Amino acid sequence: MSAQIEYKTEAGWRRWLRRILASEFFVLYLTIAYVLCLSPWIPYFWSMGNLTDILSNTWPLLVIAVGQTFVLIIGGIDLSQTSVLAFASIVGAALICTSLEPYIFSKCVMWGWIVAEDGGILAHSTAGFVLAIAIMLGCGMFVGLLNGISVAAFRMPAFMVTLVTMMMFSAVALYLAGSENIMHLPDEFVLLGDSYDLVSVPMFIAIGVTILAHILLRRSLFGMQVYAVGVNPMASRISGVPVRRVIILAFVISGLCAAIGSILYTARFEMGRPTLGATMLMDVVGANVIGGVSLSGGKGKILWAVFGVLFFVILANTLNFLNLSFYTIDLVKGVVIFGAATLDVVRGRIAQAS
Amino acid sequence: MKCLAKTVLAALFVCCLAAGASAGEKLRIAFLFQDLETEFWVAGHQAITETLRGQGIEVIEFNSNQDANRQLEQLRSAINQRVDGIMVIPHDGNVAVTMGKLANRANIPYGVFNRPPSSKDIQAVVVVADNRTIAAAAVEYMCEEALKLGRKFTPAIVVGDLADPNAVERRNGFYDAVNNPKYKDLWIDKPIEIMSKWDANVLTQNFQSAMQANPDIDFLFTSSDFLIPNIKAVLAPLGKWEKVGHPKHVIFGGLDGDKTACGQIEEGYLDSTGVQDVFAEAEMLMNALVAAIQKGDTKPNEWLYDPGFALTHGNFGDRCQDMWGCKLMFEERGK
Repeated sequence: MSAQIEYKTEAGWRRWLRRILASEFFVLYLTIAYVLCLSPWIPYFWSMGNLTDILSNTWPLLVIAVGQTFVLIIGGIDLSQTSVLAFASIVGAALICTSLEPYIFSKCVMWGWIVAEDGGILAHSTAGFVLAIAIMLGCGMFVGLLNGISVAAFRMPAFMVTLVTMMMFSAVALYLAGSENIMHLPDEFVLLGDSYDLVSVPMFIAIGVTILAHILLRRSLFGMQVYAVGVNPMASRISGVPVRRVIILAFVISGLCAAIGSILYTARFEMGRPTLGATMLMDVVGANVIGGVSLSGGKGKILWAVFGVLFFVILANTLNFLNLSFYTIDLVKGVVIFGAATLDVVRGRIAQAS
Repeated sequence: MKCLAKTVLAALFVCCLAAGASAGEKLRIAFLFQDLETEFWVAGHQAITETLRGQGIEVIEFNSNQDANRQLEQLRSAINQRVDGIMVIPHDGNVAVTMGKLANRANIPYGVFNRPPSSKDIQAVVVVADNRTIAAAAVEYMCEEALKLGRKFTPAIVVGDLADPNAVERRNGFYDAVNNPKYKDLWIDKPIEIMSKWDANVLTQNFQSAMQANPDIDFLFTSSDFLIPNIKAVLAPLGKWEKVGHPKHVIFGGLDGDKTACGQIEEGYLDSTGVQDVFAEAEMLMNALVAAIQKGDTKPNEWLYDPGFALTHGNFGDRCQDMWGCKLMFEERGK
């Protein structure tokens, strides 16, 4: 009798674990457990300032990660998002900055026709400001289009194409700015990155982008086509899915999201930086992987990316509070991403078995 | 089960209280630095942390590993930990301004070490070497050495990151000396500028190109000593890495005063280097910041200058003990 009860208990426990592991809220549960375990040792974790801080770090990363989700689902990867951050940052800042120091910028290639001592050509006007934002978004879409066409039309591997465009557009950003930061951005622009309260402009932008992306992926024909291409591009093509168009659009969305992220980061820094996002790739891809978005394509949700980003940001935040050395922080982040990728495989097997 | 849950919750609550209570007793200063890749930054880090800990101050260290965004996030984290003061070696002068605005807004005294903010819009204790004067002193010695040789030279300067006021002032100091009417007949042409962006790899590529285009460069000033090994790596294969007195010796100067520079002056490859007193700078910053904290001044605003000096091949015997790099080198030899 007791052996039977033990058997039942074990089976129940296993079933529970299996259900948790298979749940799409798994990363959220993990995040809650992590916070509950660690917060007693971090006295300021629940302070309003820190919660604001966590959210303000979440919004720009979330926007970029949401774009990456589309590319990951079609079975690709977009390494060039980091260069879009820098490229769009420099272009936008150059267009709207209100002044520049000639002794720093007089040798830069944009001097005299895009920028001058009294700022960029679109500075000092509302229309110019809006146009500059549109141009920044256009920069991201252009890079995405280039990636998409190369992958879809020329059948080049996404990894190689986006690695090359990452190098190219990082170099373009450095070339355009002469390796300098562009300061003196107008207050209206800086406001876009202002995240010193729980409710902030970046919050509205990030949530808006996330909801739109969710609807696009889960409630539209295009979304279904994205999954189909990720699962089996050949079968999708035979079934009449416009595979090329879907791939190109996925990369364009990724570039667009990176450009929106660039706007938020540029405004937050109050400067255009030619090296913006240079070390951010692991955060973007890592957050998606932690969330459960598969690197082999066909699997992923915007909600998972949200959970992944949240976990990643909270992880970085708490590691800062523990005053660990930077290599310990990167080591822990690496181990967590590896663990998440392993768990993804386990969860996949559980899903297959059930 | 319920009892166990209550016990766990109570334990967590006590832990929170204990951690919160233990946090407020000591003076706590957050020290944010960009990396530990050069001798100067390692010495600066060591000087600051040891000086602070020597005073019984708790130091909370943050290394951003050359990521400006991470440094900004670390600053916000430090603010949330309600530290008593913040000391920063910023990623660059522009980031120093952005971070200063946040520290000012949080009413936490803010100190900047060695890499000054690019604008004076923020309130901060800034300790900085008088880079212009120090660079000019080092280059003047080089010019005097050039005069003695009685021929014309092709001058060049390795420029740092011009978003960093240190780099700008070092460049200005170089031109102050080179443009001195006393030396106007020394030059074949205007100085050649080689950009480094404070990055050894960038410098190596740019310097190789510069030497291809201008193989006659024979008067060289580097805005930072940490680039000396890369300069040597380019000059040596060209047969231009020779000691003072050799016909192919490139008159060569630097700035920082690190161990490498000390060794190269001692061996005769480097003519002069501008020296900042990293230990004195750390102490100046700490004293000013701690004084502000104790006075309750949350926005101290003061620029402190390290006058520095030039250590040269000529005064090495007399002044090498005043250079931090030499002290470290001699200490290591003593070990």
